[in-house]
Amino acid sequence: MPSDALSARQAIASQNGGPSDDEVREGAMEGALIAAGEVGYREASVRTILEHSGGHRAQFYRHFENKEDCFAQAYAAWVERLCVDLLEAAAGATAWEAGVRGALVELFRFVDERPAIARALFVEVQIAGEPALARHEAMVDRAAAALDAARVEIEPNLEPPEATGVFVVGGIEACVCEALSAGDPGRVWDALPELMHLTVGSYFGREAAEAAFEAAGALLERERAGAGGEGEER
Amino acid sequence: MTELRLVESAPELRLAAVETTLPSPLPRGHHGLPADLVRAAQRQRLLEAAAAALAEQGYGRVTAARVTELAGVSSRTFYQHFEDLWACLLAAYEVEAARLCKEIERAAEAAGDGEPEIAGDGAVGGRRGRAGDATAGAGRERARAGIAAALAFLAAEPAPARLLSAEPPPQVAALAAARRDLVDRLGTMLRSILQPGGATPLPGLERRLIGAALALVSSRAAEGDPQRLRDLEPELTQILLATL
Repeated sequence: MPSDALSARQAIASQNGGPSDDEVREGAMEGALIAAGEVGYREASVRTILEHSGGHRAQFYRHFENKEDCFAQAYAAWVERLCVDLLEAAAGATAWEAGVRGALVELFRFVDERPAIARALFVEVQIAGEPALARHEAMVDRAAAALDAARVEIEPNLEPPEATGVFVVGGIEACVCEALSAGDPGRVWDALPELMHLTVGSYFGREAAEAAFEAAGALLERERAGAGGEGEER
Repeated sequence: MTELRLVESAPELRLAAVETTLPSPLPRGHHGLPADLVRAAQRQRLLEAAAAALAEQGYGRVTAARVTELAGVSSRTFYQHFEDLWACLLAAYEVEAARLCKEIERAAEAAGDGEPEIAGDGAVGGRRGRAGDATAGAGRERARAGIAAALAFLAAEPAPARLLSAEPPPQVAALAAARRDLVDRLGTMLRSILQPGGATPLPGLERRLIGAALALVSSRAAEGDPQRLRDLEPELTQILLATL
């Protein structure tokens, strides 16, 4: 279809109160993630996606080859936003450990507030085909590289193995997956001290891990008591 | 085309994935084989085929039809053995999880029988510099041997490696539970190998470490080079033991 004809159709659709193509694209991406998060990637279909997003099949297929393509594009867009949010949360801290803790808190908030999207990004992506998996691998590498900022604080002869970042990211993902798969996203908060232990320990050893565990446990207690915040830096 | 061919290896009848175009694992028609042997062979083939189909198609696309095709059995035979695809994958998962745990236990016990290669400072990675005794060093050597055995097992058998390391769909509750059971079991094994009879100071930590290790293994296994998986042993040992 010629682009002007397409624009005209979009204009008519907008005039008629229907969603424009761009709105359909954005809505379909969010719908793909919500549908996969709610009923599972296998069960989600173009129909269930459109039930969430509105629009019709012809509009969907102008933007996406199929469900797999839509999910992969949606994954890339949403994981990019999430990565930016997490990196910003980490950048707001004055030290590596506090940055990690801030990023985890931001991640857990997202999991708690948008469980269906989180389930799509962390659980369903594992079965959503190669295009989404390739983007997932890239996200893991990016997060691992961010964690590797810790290396500047470690003497070269004591540096942890190269695979440490991917290991830690995998541990965090596994923990998030476990809470989401159990249908209880809020319980991801319980794992904050253990994940801080795993993350800090993997880079700095047991002594630092135990201190990070205690600090994260105290933070959780303060948060739950409604009297604290993420203000203290180690 | 990859087909599955029946091979015998003591003490159990096993199947191996081999490059072949041989059409059928067992002769069709009246072959005189006892019915229970045929049934056991069919089941074994289906279990191996389920792992192979999963490795090929992933949880998102795997079908019972592909499993029966790889196993060289009819759809009717499939449903005589399993209620559905997920029951077949669950059975395969449990068999392979048991084999993996057995390999780890065997290697750890064998390492415990001999002189520990690493003793004294108790730090396999040598990074923490924490003073330890010979018992701690022996525990770490047993753990190293167990990790090496696990990686060798997974490197030698790519399809089971994918089955065991991939996150199953949470909608299939039994598979998700089997995965949790494996993580729990490996976590308990790690602790008991390191410190037989020792208490666990942080009960959840081993589970977190095992979850991280499985994710790392899954990522490395996806590269498709078995040697890269075996090469992970020193790094994985060092990371896993850094905080225990």
